[in-house]
Amino acid sequence: MKKYPLGEFEEVVLLTVGVLYNDAYGVRIKDELEKRLERRISVGALQSALRRMESKGYLESKFGEKTNERGGKRKRYFFITSYGKKALESSRDVRNNLWNDIPNIALDLD
Amino acid sequence: MIKRAAERFFKWYCHPDYYEDIKGDLNELYQRQLKQGLTSKAERTFAIEVLMLFRPSIIRPFHWWDINNSLEMIQNYLKIGLRNLRKHPFYSMIHILGLALGLAAFLFIHHYRIFEKSYDDFHYQPNQLVRLTTDDVVNGKIQTRDAMSFAPSGKALQDELPEVIGYTTTVKTFRMIFKKEEQPVEETEIIAVDSSFLNLFRYEILEGDKKTMLLEPNTIVLTESMAKKYFGDAKPVGQTIEVLGAFNRPFRVTGLMADIPKNTHYSFNALVSLKTFQQRIENDGWNGYNYYTYLLLNEQTSLSELQSKMPALSRKLMGEDNRLEFNLQPVRDIHLYSDFTFEPQIHGSAKAVSFLGIISLFILLIAWVNYINLSTARAMERAKEVGLRKIVGAQKRQLISQFLTEAVIINFLGAALALSIVYFLLPYFHSLIGKTIIPNLWTHTDFLKNLGLFFLIGTLITGIYPAILLSSFRPIGVLKGNFGRSKNGTLLRKSLVIIQFTASLVLIAATTIVYQQIRFMTNKDLGINTDQVIGFQNPASNRDELFVSQYQSFTEELQKLSGVKSVAGISNLPGGGSSDISSSSGGIKIIGKTDRVETTVYINSMTDQMKDALQLELTHGRNFDREIAGDSNAIIVNESLLSMLNIQDPSTVVNEFIQFGRDPDNDRFQIVGILKDYNRSTLKSKIEPTVFFHREVPRNTLVKLNSENMTSSIASVQSTWNKFFPDSPFAYSFLDQRFEKLYMEDRRFGLIFFNFSLLAIFVASIGLFGLSSYLAIQRTKEVGVRKVLGASVNNIVLLFFRDFLWLILIAILIGIPLIYLGMNDWLNTYAYRINFPWGVLILAIIAIIFIAFVTVSYQTWKLARLNPAKTVRYE
Repeated sequence: MKKYPLGEFEEVVLLTVGVLYNDAYGVRIKDELEKRLERRISVGALQSALRRMESKGYLESKFGEKTNERGGKRKRYFFITSYGKKALESSRDVRNNLWNDIPNIALDLD
Repeated sequence: MIKRAAERFFKWYCHPDYYEDIKGDLNELYQRQLKQGLTSKAERTFAIEVLMLFRPSIIRPFHWWDINNSLEMIQNYLKIGLRNLRKHPFYSMIHILGLALGLAAFLFIHHYRIFEKSYDDFHYQPNQLVRLTTDDVVNGKIQTRDAMSFAPSGKALQDELPEVIGYTTTVKTFRMIFKKEEQPVEETEIIAVDSSFLNLFRYEILEGDKKTMLLEPNTIVLTESMAKKYFGDAKPVGQTIEVLGAFNRPFRVTGLMADIPKNTHYSFNALVSLKTFQQRIENDGWNGYNYYTYLLLNEQTSLSELQSKMPALSRKLMGEDNRLEFNLQPVRDIHLYSDFTFEPQIHGSAKAVSFLGIISLFILLIAWVNYINLSTARAMERAKEVGLRKIVGAQKRQLISQFLTEAVIINFLGAALALSIVYFLLPYFHSLIGKTIIPNLWTHTDFLKNLGLFFLIGTLITGIYPAILLSSFRPIGVLKGNFGRSKNGTLLRKSLVIIQFTASLVLIAATTIVYQQIRFMTNKDLGINTDQVIGFQNPASNRDELFVSQYQSFTEELQKLSGVKSVAGISNLPGGGSSDISSSSGGIKIIGKTDRVETTVYINSMTDQMKDALQLELTHGRNFDREIAGDSNAIIVNESLLSMLNIQDPSTVVNEFIQFGRDPDNDRFQIVGILKDYNRSTLKSKIEPTVFFHREVPRNTLVKLNSENMTSSIASVQSTWNKFFPDSPFAYSFLDQRFEKLYMEDRRFGLIFFNFSLLAIFVASIGLFGLSSYLAIQRTKEVGVRKVLGASVNNIVLLFFRDFLWLILIAILIGIPLIYLGMNDWLNTYAYRINFPWGVLILAIIAIIFIAFVTVSYQTWKLARLNPAKTVRYE
């Protein structure tokens, strides 16, 4: 069993939430992701990743302010929990180990 | 608009905890695009995002108690619906039976039509596949259209036209005799094809190499059932089959293929390599068009454009002064639309198929109309129920749901009954149409899907109008009892009844006319006497002297048999199909009498005994005589030929000479007799202008038997045959049966038509019966009052019937032109047709009035006979 189940897209979202610290709500995360990944992301894909990670415990959320352009609906801000931080670290470690173990010659392709 | 629907949808499925902020996000994104001035795009994006949000982690959890309330209502609807069904078993039965019959008949025919239209749609590029056919054109007018073409034409067209990317040349062998366990067996479904045939036509190859197996002469590819017939369970590939007759050599089996689908215009059970016929192909060259050629066209080719190049190309390839023209015919159209001569097999008729389609639609519509009619007529009964329901708080929407539920129940029972009807009648239906279109009902998903689909459509069509009508009653008015009859409802009902009457009238008349035409054809005097005459094909041989003397002693021996009246030979037996005769298109003239006429002339040949065997009549001149040596040069012509050559007085051409073709050195043949016309083939086509040659050993033998002891006579004919020709199978047929067979398709069509018309009329009658008896019961009190005041039973029945009589009269006025136009058109497809039978029309009208009278008046009559004391007290 995987210790910290974290999908690839979930990981990127989680990192983005961290990047946007204190300003991480739906539309803002979507904009940031689209800028960095250079592709379109649907609200559905993003929201389902967020909710899944919230129920896994990597994220917590709280309501923010209402604005006019939101039709009087509040924003929901997301924060990384310490459990979420561990999941990110574990995933980074796996990657680092992999990078370290690649023999130099294998990447000497130029 | 889109946004509102999307918002609604989103609110409905979104988890309530997530709703607020996601909705906010969506709004924010929407507003952003709106600010950029992209109004419609913003709406679209909004809707797409909503659709993309519909996923398990976002939607609200599903709890059964959420729908519990509506579930209970549905349960209640079901209960009420079933109660209503049981309360009126008679009307329920009419509804269900009508819907079931309608649905069953419709689906039967629907799938029959699908099958008929599916011919040759399974090949590699079915829409690019065309058949090259040959038209005989005189002065820009097409004389005959022949399905065959010249052997070299396929290659020539591919070389000339970049649009043609492939071709195959084939020939139907019509008859080959195989040896099976020392017995000769005749095979008629064998075609010879070149090696590209299997690249154009998609058939499943089980063994052998598609590219090479038909390259060499004397090779054969068997279908599975043929392989089973000749080799049992042994492996056929690599073995040999003895072919007797003219071939008299072994054929090597080089391949095995699955049995071919039934829906092809060119069916076979074995393929022989075309190289086997190399000699014949070279002899034929550009002289005889006896081949079926198929072309594969480039994907972008427009057929009409390509066709327009044909006249010029025909002259280029076949000479400036020839009259034949290439024609291209889509392969998928051949089965239903081709009416060319020399088709490889009997084909279907698009007209018959669409006729049946119309009937089946009629039946279904009539069944639906029955339901709508009866339900709206019974609205009054339900009106009080509706009023009361509304008062205790039912909403219109709920009432509509309730009545729709009833429609669902009845339609569902109808569909279930339809399924069992189809299940039990499937074998009968298959024998009726002569084809198996649904081998297994339960695995035929298309059929089951269609049943489901038309169950749904039927439910909507039959359910919605009555549901809306019934649920719109105003409670106060209804409960007071003065809801009055809805004018609209009555008008609708009346027009629906008119449609039913019209349909029934048209069907009765049309069926009778079809029958009359078929009877006319089978009973018409053909000009020959075919009673007790059997015909059979002579052994295939190269007609050497040995065979001729053998054949002559065979006929002499036959003549001696006690049961045999006379023996004769003819090359084309009476009662053959349109392609069962040779023809010449090289032009013909009577020397010194006429100019050369460019036309198609048919060629037959016979022995001198033919006149006696068939009781032919010569109007002028004499019969052939084998004693006269010069008669190998003598010919007999029929009257049709003379009238085609514009000869007014036939006696003037006796002993004159006929010459074929344009070369003045061609052989001349002396006309010794003029034969009274007789029908060689079906009455759909005119009698062919024919020249008869005198031959001692034509292809077929005719034997006229005594009318007594026919079975034993035939047996002795057979044993004589076996004595002389042990290597050939003896397959005889009675001539009158051959003629009957020609009309098999028409007879079949008539029978199908008759069955389904009967069904349509039956469904219409039960509907009418239900409707009229309901209306009669409504007027029970009136009947009582009228009786008390002195009306007789007859008075009352006629009075009530008068309401319907008007509708019948309108139906007759609509029906007559429909019948006349439709059936006259159909009759025109026959060369020998009956006059339009007005008597039938009158009979049909009487029949429809009679049926209507019986169905409409039965209930009135029953009521009117009751003691008025009972009827007046009704309610």
